[in-house]
Amino acid sequence: MKRATILLSFGAVLAFAATAALAEGNIENGKAKAATCFACHGADGNAVDPQYPRLAGQYNLYIQQALHEYKDGRRNNAIMKGFVATLSDQDIEDVAAYFSSLPGKLGTLHGHIQGDGDGAK
Amino acid sequence: MTRLQLLGLTAAAALFAAGAHAEGDKAAGRKLVYTCNGCHGVVGYENAYPRYPVPKIAGQNEQYLLNALHEYQSGERTHPTMGAQAQSLSDKDIADIAAYLSSLAK
Repeated sequence: MKRATILLSFGAVLAFAATAALAEGNIENGKAKAATCFACHGADGNAVDPQYPRLAGQYNLYIQQALHEYKDGRRNNAIMKGFVATLSDQDIEDVAAYFSSLPGKLGTLHGHIQGDGDGAK
Repeated sequence: MTRLQLLGLTAAAALFAAGAHAEGDKAAGRKLVYTCNGCHGVVGYENAYPRYPVPKIAGQNEQYLLNALHEYQSGERTHPTMGAQAQSLSDKDIADIAAYLSSLAK
């Protein structure tokens, strides 16, 4: 019982630390730092070339997660690896804040599945 | 002249390759994404650990989606849930899903 309590509080602390580690960044600073991203992902975050993901309106913390994964090698992409190497944790927060703040074409699947009655598009 | 013909042949081959890259079937994709909806259809739904929202995928670019699903399938990109999901998909399923999702751009 005591062990369970200890484990639980340990887990809670970890969860809190994980949340706190991914903070919201500064949009204006992010815009300046994101200039290198524009060539592929578009200045408006809506990549035209279909091989590159659209970032506009994507979740802030998901973009941060992706950048951290590129940085530590969990996610492997030669181009992104090079760019992300130059970004500090603060840069990652700021760039993610910028792209997630843009109006985009992305959405969740809500309303888009069979049976939702919105008609196939 | 021979070089020119060779160039033409290369161009034709490239065109053919582009055509052979099968267009996905959106209607079939719409049925397949039923499973994806469990996580990707819930606004702000979060991955358990580490905690971050599962990405918005409706309206994402087609080739990126194709690459992502194939990478999850091969293990090049790792995520427990996505790895398992991708295992159950055929190449055609992946093409259909990518075609449907990319067509949802707002």
